Amino acid sequence: MDRPGSLSVERLALHFGGLAVLDDISLEVRPGELLALIGPNGAGKTSVLNCISGLYRPLRGRVVFEAREITGLAPHSIASLGLARTFQHGGLFAHLTVLQNLLVGRHAHFRSNALWDGLFLGPARRSEIAQRDEAEKIIEFFEIERYRHSVVAGIPFGIQKVVGFARALAMGPRLLLLDEPSAGLNREGKEDLARFILRIKHEMHISMIWVEHDMQMVADLADRVYVMDYGEYITDGSPDQVLRDPRVVEIYLGSQSAERRHESA
Amino acid sequence: MAYASGYFKTGYAVELRLVETRLQWTSLAALLVLLAAFPFVAPAFVIGIANQVFLAIVGAAALMLLMGYAGQISLGHAGLLAAGALSTGILFKETGAAFWVTLPASAAVGALLGVVFGLPSLRLKGLYLAVTTLALHFVVAFVGGEYETRRGFSSGIVIPPPSLGSFTLVEQSHWYFLLLALDVLVILFCLNLLRSRTGRALIAIRDHDVVAEALGIPVRQHKLAAFVISSTLTSIAGSVLAYYRGFVSIEAFTLYLTIDYVAMVIIGGMGSMLGVVLGAAFVVSFPHVIEALVRSIPWSQAIANEIFAVNYAAFGLIMILFLVFEPLGLVGIWRRVRNYFLLWPFRQTTVGGGGA
Repeated sequence: MDRPGSLSVERLALHFGGLAVLDDISLEVRPGELLALIGPNGAGKTSVLNCISGLYRPLRGRVVFEAREITGLAPHSIASLGLARTFQHGGLFAHLTVLQNLLVGRHAHFRSNALWDGLFLGPARRSEIAQRDEAEKIIEFFEIERYRHSVVAGIPFGIQKVVGFARALAMGPRLLLLDEPSAGLNREGKEDLARFILRIKHEMHISMIWVEHDMQMVADLADRVYVMDYGEYITDGSPDQVLRDPRVVEIYLGSQSAERRHESA
Repeated sequence: MAYASGYFKTGYAVELRLVETRLQWTSLAALLVLLAAFPFVAPAFVIGIANQVFLAIVGAAALMLLMGYAGQISLGHAGLLAAGALSTGILFKETGAAFWVTLPASAAVGALLGVVFGLPSLRLKGLYLAVTTLALHFVVAFVGGEYETRRGFSSGIVIPPPSLGSFTLVEQSHWYFLLLALDVLVILFCLNLLRSRTGRALIAIRDHDVVAEALGIPVRQHKLAAFVISSTLTSIAGSVLAYYRGFVSIEAFTLYLTIDYVAMVIIGGMGSMLGVVLGAAFVVSFPHVIEALVRSIPWSQAIANEIFAVNYAAFGLIMILFLVFEPLGLVGIWRRVRNYFLLWPFRQTTVGGGGA
């Protein structure tokens, strides 16, 4: 495979009616790289993920995954190429158990069809057992054994976030898109999350695009940071360099509000 | 899971079983013995009702797959039943084909119609989808009506009972066992579907279609599959119904029939195969119960002509009561009773989120 897990987004533009959501966004993810995508609310971070995973069709621009253009492909085709994502609000199937949610993530790996499934013979039974085995590995990795058979609607919020992450990893991707995995987590939850992200990076060598608001986590974990605001590219580079950049500070604190605070003081 | 204690699993294959504990096996065996003994003790009238329930279960299971699991609302159910019954009727009238030809042929017609009924679901959701399936119901009704008048069968098509060799299926008690076997097969098929990847995909599409798509599930393909599987089963039910009645007339397949099936799914309990059985039994036996009740009051003669009106009103009232007070349907009631007796005489104060 050519540069597994690599992705390049070239000159992406996305409009909703007259509103320019993304304007000329280009970014690159190298094999095994952890790229943090930051910017204030409404900067268009999730829209970038949606364009990559095929949920939005960009007005202009291309998305190339492992030297293969995926712009315009159906989301399920993109997913089955080895590109998985999480959702900001979990997007879990609340009536299914944790295990069933993970098995839905394994969907593309089953070797069966509706007819065999209805008879529950041959390939249906075999793949059900084989995929259960794979799902159990993920359950072990995320340390959620005790919630395996719990219905998602009944488990704590923090665990739900982990399950959303686990389901994306269960898809067996080479590139993971994480949409604010730490949002709403407490300190302990964030520490667990950091550990999962690092293990995925170092042990599984899966590339990641990570949308994040917790700058401390970004500074500690990310290989590279990409900053955007109002759908436009601002800067990118190493965390140290980017987070000190005056433009980035200005975006996050706002120059005018800083001035006003200065005046009133 | 439920009812199991001191029972440990030793492999994933064990966890996939539909029946797990010895108690469950025993209860299932007892149920089958009871069902098998039923036609030998029950009066013919009651066996007739049981047969209608068995027939309804096939159609209701099909609708449950589509509405309760795949989340696609369909109001074309009577149209699909009609398509199955009419295909059988027309094939018999035109070619004199036997049941082992007409039944698969009707299933094929159902599968094909499933694609047609399912196509709007690729674009439309919820009520809009419901309206398009409703339109298709009228198309089927129109085509059937045209056939009947043009060929001079305006009063309906008479179909002789199916026979194999010297055996002819006429008696209610024979039908009873055949329909029971059919129900077991259909329910097993549905349960299998639901415990495997296709079933999970349907539920995923029902709950979050965008997420399902992003997880690698071809959503359109699965929506169509849900329609095709459902309408194939429905068409088979229609074909068997034609043989059971010995008569097909498009007039029998009105919108009220669709409402009956939707009621079975809702009253039984959305998203449960047990709900299919309970709902079908409830809806089919309901008018008979109401009739018996009305007859039992002393001045029943005075309202004898209004019995249909009473029936519909009571049925409507029951539907509303279920929607308001027990959206989980009869299954919801059953689960609560079961959970209560699981710990009896102790009381369970907190109930965990959801149940199997």
